Amino acid sequence: MKQRTLWSAALVVGLTLTAGCGSAAGPNSQSGDSGNKLVVWDWKSGDENAARYVEKAKADFAKKHSDIEVEFVAQPFDQYYTLLGAAIQAGKGPDVILFNGGGQIRDRVDALAPLDTYIAEDKQRLAGWDAFTKDGKAYAAPVTLQGHPLYYNKALYETAGLDQDSPAKTWDDFVKDCGVITEKTGAKCLALGNKEGIGIQFFLSAFGSATLTPQEYDDWIAGKRNWSSPDVKRIFELWKQANDAGLNTDGANSTAMFNDAFAAFQSTKAANVIGLMSDVGHWKDFTEFLGSDTVGVMDAPLVNPAATPSLPYDGGIGYGVAKWTKDPEVAADLVRSLTSTDALSAFYADGGAIASDTTIDLSSGGPAVQTIVSEVKTGKPALHVALPSKTVDLMGRLSQQLLSGSITVDEVVAQLAASDKTG
Amino acid sequence: MTGRSPSPVGPASAGPTGGATITAPPRRPQPARPSPPRNRRGPGAERLAPFVLLAPAVLIIVVLRLWPLLLGVNFSFTGDGDRNGMWVGLANYLTLLDDPLFRTALRNVGLLVLLLPVAVAIPGLLATFIYLKVPGNRFYRAVYFFPAVLSPVIVGAIFNLLLAYDGPLNAALGAVGLGPVDWLGDPDVAIFAVVGVHIWATFGMALVVFLAGFSTLDPSLLDAAKVDGATLPQTIRHVIIPSLSRTIQFVFVTTMIGMLTSMFGLLFVMTGGGPEGSTYLPEYYIWVQQGQFNQPALASAASTALFLIMLVVGLAQIAVLRRAGKEE
Repeated sequence: MKQRTLWSAALVVGLTLTAGCGSAAGPNSQSGDSGNKLVVWDWKSGDENAARYVEKAKADFAKKHSDIEVEFVAQPFDQYYTLLGAAIQAGKGPDVILFNGGGQIRDRVDALAPLDTYIAEDKQRLAGWDAFTKDGKAYAAPVTLQGHPLYYNKALYETAGLDQDSPAKTWDDFVKDCGVITEKTGAKCLALGNKEGIGIQFFLSAFGSATLTPQEYDDWIAGKRNWSSPDVKRIFELWKQANDAGLNTDGANSTAMFNDAFAAFQSTKAANVIGLMSDVGHWKDFTEFLGSDTVGVMDAPLVNPAATPSLPYDGGIGYGVAKWTKDPEVAADLVRSLTSTDALSAFYADGGAIASDTTIDLSSGGPAVQTIVSEVKTGKPALHVALPSKTVDLMGRLSQQLLSGSITVDEVVAQLAASDKTG
Repeated sequence: MTGRSPSPVGPASAGPTGGATITAPPRRPQPARPSPPRNRRGPGAERLAPFVLLAPAVLIIVVLRLWPLLLGVNFSFTGDGDRNGMWVGLANYLTLLDDPLFRTALRNVGLLVLLLPVAVAIPGLLATFIYLKVPGNRFYRAVYFFPAVLSPVIVGAIFNLLLAYDGPLNAALGAVGLGPVDWLGDPDVAIFAVVGVHIWATFGMALVVFLAGFSTLDPSLLDAAKVDGATLPQTIRHVIIPSLSRTIQFVFVTTMIGMLTSMFGLLFVMTGGGPEGSTYLPEYYIWVQQGQFNQPALASAASTALFLIMLVVGLAQIAVLRRAGKEE
């Protein structure tokens, strides 16, 4: 026994002594790809709804570079950033990489090539660049727009005796209407899933523009966030108030947003849901269950008279170019093909995502899409996307504590302020 | 090896007593045959042979086990992000100690240790009933083992449905007048729910080990207990438990290791570490830091911490098994 203990101790000492003699990822890591092949990593190309999109993008690229083969590698989304992290550490991996906008790409720009010189022509045609930009440089081109429209079930509103075409304009009226809907139909007001802490992100961004003044909103996006502002605090108070008043579906902290909370809306167990406008949890999913005329989109009800409600949206997903790729210009050409009008039209038509291309005709999309599209021009970037990933993660846990009543709003904003400074 | 004379062949060289054995009683006549190859190559080759034979295994251990381990520990002393590759000393470890999530993960490790007797007692008790041939024991044996072949992802998905706030378990509780419990959404309850499901899903394997242990049990002891009029609890306490002490110890350590290293799938599917971070375990923390926050060096530090925990558990295992060996 003694001998074995000694061996174990020797191993630990050896490990400790040799520690810190370098890093796992050398700064001069090299690309592992050959010159006439481009490898794309994403979590979309295996999806049936994206098949035509990929096909068209490939065809567009082949017109420019017929000698270069393009290989799409669809990774499971759950493991995507873990696998990508390993590739980045190794300095080898895909040439073109799909990212979510916001923190996921901003945390990894060290591994990416700036695209500004290659995509100048697309700047006007595509929307949603902010989510892929850091320090004034664009690191990916947007494929879809991602936002948080407040969807409502017109049929439930009608059953409750409310005007289905003119939902509440203020928060107080909204809460009042919620009471009527629950009383008359038995449905809850808001379908909420906060198991992964995503619910608060949606809530913050959906109701933020109705709570913060335009100046506060712009400052927040610009990184000048005043966490001690009464308006910021008000958003978290609303979050708690909505739950305490029974507006949310039950068991929000154990309900997954994808797809359980959306299912509650689709199955008329809730009258409203803060959904998405990319290709999941969006108008197309909802209309398949409820019918095109039943799904409405409303402005966030006004909380602060000084606020101007607007659609919160950013670039949803977008393709970037790894800095280790052999010819960034060719890889950027592939990104341009992946964001060409033809390809994006197919992505919208098959998947229902609101594509980043502002020139695509969306007139056949039904009333919900029309409302969303009409608000894109006046929309602003979503509040939660501007936060560092660590702060967003902390906000998720704190929001769960708020719902369970184990923390106060003051403590929440204080902790978020501290994280936002260091995050 | 140079300067040494080759070993003489034949009986003259045999035995440690040297010349004294030369005139030893006649032995079986030695047939004329060529010397064995090892002797032709000399004692050096003989000494080298074990090392050569061991070399592949040693190389595999060193290259595929110890070297990555060294790299991981080494990496834990470097920085993430802007400080990638830079020596940061113990900064990552200090960050870990300062992180309430990691502290929760360590606390949950302590909780698992406390729950360990339950995880061992359940298969032990059920195996006892099966051994004592309760009616339908063959059926139960198959049923109890069945979850062991299911993937944690499947198990997690099934229990997500059963334990949902508006799920069947709460409906059953409601039917008998008890209020609903947010099994996976209440921070005081969720970790127990996940551990309970883990025990449910894995105790079949421990049960099989127990049944194997029972097969070595002397039936005459049970007969003697019966003749003496021992009750079932007395039989379990005074006959079965002492006879199965080695098996019980083995199940203890393997169950503990399973709890520390095999709950990721269930955590991922059932709670995602929540609510409020209450169900974090070290390996889930490592995955989040590496995969979600792109902080591989911090994740390496957490991995090293988990490795040390496992080392302690491993040494405890060796100690327990050695003690059990001495008792026999």
